Amino acid sequence: MTKDFLATDSFQSFIEELSQFGILLGPSLTEDGVPAFIPLGSTADLHIDYRRTLIPPKKYLIPPRETVLTFVPEHGYALPAPAVGETILFGLHPCDLAAISYLDRVFLEDRPDPLYQERRNTITLIGLSCEPDEFCFCTALGTDTPDHFDIYLEMVEGGFRVQKGSPRGEAIISAISCLSDGGGPISPPFVVADLAEQIRTAAEHQETFPESPLWENFADRCLSCGACSLCCPTCYCFDVREYGNLDGRNAERQREWDNCLFKSHGEVAGGYSFRKTRQERFRYRFLHKYLGFGPLRGVVSCVGCGRCREVCPVKIDLLELFQQQ
Amino acid sequence: MPVDQMTNIPSQAEIVSLKPISGDTTLFRLRLTDEEAARGFTFVPGQFVQVSAPAAGEAPFSPVNPPRNDGTLELCVRSVGHVTSQLHKARQGEMVGVRGPFGMGFPVAEMTGKDILLLAGGLGIVPLYSLLCYLLEHRDAYASITLMYGAREPSALLLRDELRELACRRDMRLMLTVDFAAEEGTGEPSCAVGLLPDLLRGSPVVADNCYAAVCGPPALYRCIIGELLGLGFSDQRILLSLERRMKCGLGRCAHCAVGQLLCCIDGPVFRYSDLKTIDGAL
Repeated sequence: MTKDFLATDSFQSFIEELSQFGILLGPSLTEDGVPAFIPLGSTADLHIDYRRTLIPPKKYLIPPRETVLTFVPEHGYALPAPAVGETILFGLHPCDLAAISYLDRVFLEDRPDPLYQERRNTITLIGLSCEPDEFCFCTALGTDTPDHFDIYLEMVEGGFRVQKGSPRGEAIISAISCLSDGGGPISPPFVVADLAEQIRTAAEHQETFPESPLWENFADRCLSCGACSLCCPTCYCFDVREYGNLDGRNAERQREWDNCLFKSHGEVAGGYSFRKTRQERFRYRFLHKYLGFGPLRGVVSCVGCGRCREVCPVKIDLLELFQQQ
Repeated sequence: MPVDQMTNIPSQAEIVSLKPISGDTTLFRLRLTDEEAARGFTFVPGQFVQVSAPAAGEAPFSPVNPPRNDGTLELCVRSVGHVTSQLHKARQGEMVGVRGPFGMGFPVAEMTGKDILLLAGGLGIVPLYSLLCYLLEHRDAYASITLMYGAREPSALLLRDELRELACRRDMRLMLTVDFAAEEGTGEPSCAVGLLPDLLRGSPVVADNCYAAVCGPPALYRCIIGELLGLGFSDQRILLSLERRMKCGLGRCAHCAVGQLLCCIDGPVFRYSDLKTIDGAL
């Protein structure tokens, strides 16, 4: 008999049992009321009915700033000491799970990134189904069906239907005592959004909308604040900087989130910039999100989480490109 | 350190010698100190390495020498930014870090049997000199070889000792041009006055059986491609080495995107046929 049902009144025990497997991170509210993935102190902190966090879970896989190499004159450059400890990322919506799946492709295929790999190996992903709001469009991108998780909880009548997605997930489930058998019926999928066809066709035909008046419209309004990229769960562009220590001998190399909306992003030695105008930077962002770069050409990296549409202070919405007649 | 680790961790390299070759450019000879890394290190002309100046950071360079399989490499470093100015402060015997090689170099196998025209502007001589040395080492595999090299003024011509030697060779043609020639140096290889496209226009180049490899500042590409197409070169046989600020070298940091191509893995050597429809590529 498979144990695949978590009754609502067992939820708290489930969370308590889970926390034996690692540091538990999940959706909650920060002190100033912003939805965020943060370490969960007690189950009271958990906001299970959240819509979306401001900063996506990518922060646990590619921290905003991290040391990638250390330098000491005697030995040269070396990787930093590995972070230790198992972590459980709880409550990931299907869009955020899809985003992590995309980041895995970027950082683990072709010469894997050692730091990303290390973190990924110690993180357990636990998904949670959600109700879309007016900003979401995951159904247009097919990211509403989760397929990249260790454990997935789907809200059903009276509780959650529990799915295992990996050996790691299976091991955790088998060790948890508060599950019962006989999950409720699976909820019907969301209605497919109108844009699905347009986005799919545009990606297939590598459509760049070169003549669209929207580019100028976007560029005129854009403040280059970079919020859209900062809060995007699949934006991974990074800058690399090196800082000498005050001892004048040792140094640290750090990578930190960068932003393609910033002017410096396309500069080369001597200050020449290949993307001087906002319009060029917008097109760059569109290309990367919807048509893909290099080996991931043709892979749409937008997961429809709706964060960029929600946070843009001047209401720029790249989806308007697909809605043009 | 195994060579495949050099993708993520810089391997130590000693500065064997330093030679100023123009006002702001110095030729660095480096040798990888780790024996295993040195044994396995090789590259294709046109590929690049990431060179680290401790506490300053890392910058991409194409080696100027041909591959040697002995862990040595030579770089022309022009002092233009944070990393390069720090490198210019380094002395002989000091260490730098090297990662790589990265990217796609010149398709030397595909170019066999063909005439080769190399067009270099300014610092663009660097990857083309490496390619030229490779071609001359495998001289029988290629038909005619021509290097056209343009610089601002005679004193800005880099690798002058090497150019003097090339000028004496009978198995290739060397053509130099400068924008301005106020000075008249003695013992210099002879040199025309004018821009690189002028030099190309005045020379008998037969495009049919020829590959053109171009490297120089963005302005050079914009004017030289029209000339090459006018001479009958096909899009696929115009090879361009592009400059971008590659940070990771592994297709991740996304600073070096050219359209949907990434300079660090799809390039830095591209065919014009792949670039011509991309806005802002050149």
